[in-house]
Amino acid sequence: MSRQSETALIIGAGLQGCSIALFLARAGWNVTLLDKNVAGRHASSVNAGGLRMLMRDWREYPLSQRAMEHWVHLDRLVGEKAADACEVRLGVSQIGLALDEAEMSWAVGRAEDMKKRGLGEEELLSREDVRTLLPGVSENALGGLISRRDGHANPAAATRAFREAAVAAGARIVENCRVLGLERVRGGGWRAETSFGQHEGGVLINCGGAWGARVAAMAGQTLPLKTVAPSMMVTARTQPFLTPVVIGIDRPLSFKQSAVGSLVIGGGILGKPCPDQDTSFTVMDRMPQSAAATLEAFPALAHVPVLRTWTGLEGATPDGIPVIGPGQGTPDLWHVFGFCGHGFQLSPAVGEAVAKSLVSGTLEATLAPFDCGRFASRVAA
Amino acid sequence: MTQATDMRPSVPMDADIIIVGCGPAGMTAAIELAEANRSVIVLDMQPTPGGQIFRNLEDNISQQSSDRQALLAALGPAYRAGADLIRRFRASSRIDYRPLTTVWEVRPDGTVGWLRGMDAGYLRATTVILAHGAMERPVPFPGWTLPGVMTAGSVQTLLKAGNLKPTGNVVLAGTGPLLLLLATQLHKLGVKPTLIARTDRFSDGLRAMRYLRRNGLLPVVKGLGWLAQLKRSGVRMTSGVSDLAAEGERKVEAVSFTVKGRRVRQPCDLLVVHDGIVPAIDIPNGAGLALQWDQTNASWRPRTTSDGLASSALPPDLQPERCVVRITGDARRIGGAEATIAHGRLTAQAILAELRKGDGISSKSQQAVDRTLSVRPFLDAAFPPGLSAKLPDDNTIVCRCEELTAGALREKIRAGFGNMDALRGETRCGMGPCQGRNCMITAARLIEEDRGACGSTPPVFRGRPPIRPLPLGALAGLTGLDPSATELLTLEDKPEHDVEATSDVPAE
Ligand SMILES: Cc1cc2nc3c(=O)[nH]c(=O)nc-3n(C[C@H](O)[C@H](O)[C@H](O)COP(=O)(O)OP(=O)(O)OC[C@H]3O[C@@H](n4cnc5c(N)ncnc54)[C@H](O)[C@@H]3O)c2cc1C
Repeated sequence: MSRQSETALIIGAGLQGCSIALFLARAGWNVTLLDKNVAGRHASSVNAGGLRMLMRDWREYPLSQRAMEHWVHLDRLVGEKAADACEVRLGVSQIGLALDEAEMSWAVGRAEDMKKRGLGEEELLSREDVRTLLPGVSENALGGLISRRDGHANPAAATRAFREAAVAAGARIVENCRVLGLERVRGGGWRAETSFGQHEGGVLINCGGAWGARVAAMAGQTLPLKTVAPSMMVTARTQPFLTPVVIGIDRPLSFKQSAVGSLVIGGGILGKPCPDQDTSFTVMDRMPQSAAATLEAFPALAHVPVLRTWTGLEGATPDGIPVIGPGQGTPDLWHVFGFCGHGFQLSPAVGEAVAKSLVSGTLEATLAPFDCGRFASRVAA
Repeated sequence: MTQATDMRPSVPMDADIIIVGCGPAGMTAAIELAEANRSVIVLDMQPTPGGQIFRNLEDNISQQSSDRQALLAALGPAYRAGADLIRRFRASSRIDYRPLTTVWEVRPDGTVGWLRGMDAGYLRATTVILAHGAMERPVPFPGWTLPGVMTAGSVQTLLKAGNLKPTGNVVLAGTGPLLLLLATQLHKLGVKPTLIARTDRFSDGLRAMRYLRRNGLLPVVKGLGWLAQLKRSGVRMTSGVSDLAAEGERKVEAVSFTVKGRRVRQPCDLLVVHDGIVPAIDIPNGAGLALQWDQTNASWRPRTTSDGLASSALPPDLQPERCVVRITGDARRIGGAEATIAHGRLTAQAILAELRKGDGISSKSQQAVDRTLSVRPFLDAAFPPGLSAKLPDDNTIVCRCEELTAGALREKIRAGFGNMDALRGETRCGMGPCQGRNCMITAARLIEEDRGACGSTPPVFRGRPPIRPLPLGALAGLTGLDPSATELLTLEDKPEHDVEATSDVPAE
């Protein structure tokens, strides 16, 4: 049995929780993951699977770059067979498409900005470039931004791969176990009161996803988080015509063609979140805007039928980047949530950086921008 | 379901009642409601009124050609009998009939999503009646996806709507009145089936006798007539067959099955299968309505009151104030044309009573429903589910859209995907163009098999709009939106960029 400080209790067995568990367990920690549903039931399994560095907030860049290395060598993290199942396709690129002058000038400014910062992943695309790269693109497309290393993966398989690797490394997952209350243990550490007994850990890591702020509140900490339900839709199969992932700049668009030919369309249009019921619903009244954005980019797709829509629950912070780090005045309580719709790609690097920080006792530099303190959280008495 | 009821006053009503489906149940309800001066919109996928049973009836009657006359004669008086109902339906000026219109979403609060060509929108009414009918029980068996394997329903549709007759060596396999009716009709049209391989047994028929009621005698006599006729004309018939398989390379070449412990192989050009009909639950499930499991029929059906009022199965704070959806006809409970007419009338009367514009349900209507349904227990016992009685073996395709075998699904279920939505996400089962209509029941039973559960209500895929394919262009131009719901909410994560303003923070 390890020392108390080397035991971690992680709340939330989504991709972040599983990734942290994997790295901590490999470092020899005693890790328990609790989830009120089954591991990966929420955002982690139902997202668009975009592995995107393109148009990220520059503060996320170092973490995102590191994550990309992990995705490239996923077999080293989760094993060859599991990595295969994750259908990681990198190098197909993601393209931010400019469909009007305002978007194009934003793209130009963004490219300059990133160059000044020495972050050279994003290149500007001309009108001709987008025509070549995106057959069938609208006459109105003026150009855009490309991040060539980007791509996508299968989120459900990835979540399972991280989960299984964490278990193989010795982490314990308790499913259908809802955390109802948190309290400090005398002498250090935390105790969780759950629907399935009590669990303790020297360090408590809140990976509660859309419910992250609620979990924080159980420990007396206030963090701002909006629960949102981004919507997705999928169409019937069409002839393969598109390899890159296309995203909108000011339009709600994120668009790719899957290996089987169906079009997977997202773009952050929000449905109705029902976090109390552990679910969310598509608001079809809003989906026309998603369809319109798709047709603005690819007018020839008007007859392709949408077969299904779905939504997933995600937490959004006021500044669009996550909180990752200890709560204020609580080095043994970490918050890792609020990925604002783009946390899938980051997850391997998040797991690594959080685990390294906990093991070494010093915060990894890549995590500095995500400090909870930026929201001047109040610690309740 | 995605809208709170407090938003509703802002949206105008398009009619008093929207009816989905223009078969006997939908038409009867529409006529009844229109006669009581209610405004009615009827939406139906087909080009003309009639539903499955009276499909293309107007056209077939109006054409004088000899082959149409032959078709009418073969389809028999039960088909012709719909003419009067269709005439009354067409004559009513208060009925706004919209053919070629597909419903892709229904909400318990009375909102209905429709699609016609490349136009789509929402309509709203105080009450919605679902009269969308039944579907044939999906039966996966080895070779069922081969060209040349069809269901009895689709063969009948080709007869009625296209006057298309099968040619060559036709074998019918399965169970149920429709199978025998089709065989008789084909025979009258000069297509003598080579073989009818029935899954039901003589003993089923004997056991069913105890459910015979005087009111239900007529249909039974009719059925015996079909049988006698087929026998007389020398159509070969076996019963008690199992383990059906269609064989062939590029199309079906033969059918094989086990009967009395022996494997029989019969060459054929067309294999027609049928395993009874079940209520179509795609709309109710998509609307989040409560379903119940009907053990005798091994099928789901919506949970309703006897006059058709459905209830929402959504969590309490997601439910609309009132569920205004009623379900009638075969969509509620399999009963056949006469029963659906009786229940359509009953449902309309219940709505009128609710609107205080009617006297309520007449005892005559109630009796008609009871009488027309009285043969059901007999039929259920005489023709139990056959082809689908056993779960398919590992090599058989279950989800034909995604070409997933039972083995592939079993493997995933054993690996922990024992929840319908998790299984769907993992395998794409139910994500193809059929949207689960064909595979859901088998997927659910495979999960039950793994759990060792039986007798409970099998789990369903959570229905999500659109439950029917909706072209992107039609979706982009969707009309009749709820203004309070359309407000564009997006996850705003486009980063700011201004290197000067933020240069105090070092880039990593
Ligand atoms: C539709 C959609 C599309 C997206 N597309 C992309 C994309 O293309 N690329 C990308 O990088 N990211 C994308 N994302 C974002 C990404 O999915 C998330 O950022 C990421 O999955 C978050 O992982 P998580 O582990 O923090 O959250 P989750 O996966 O939601 O896990 C949180 C877990 O915590 C559990 N939990 C909460 N409270 C409790 C409690 N009290 N007791 C016990 N357990 C609890 C929950 O049950 C849940 O399993 C998308 C998100 C959505 C919804």
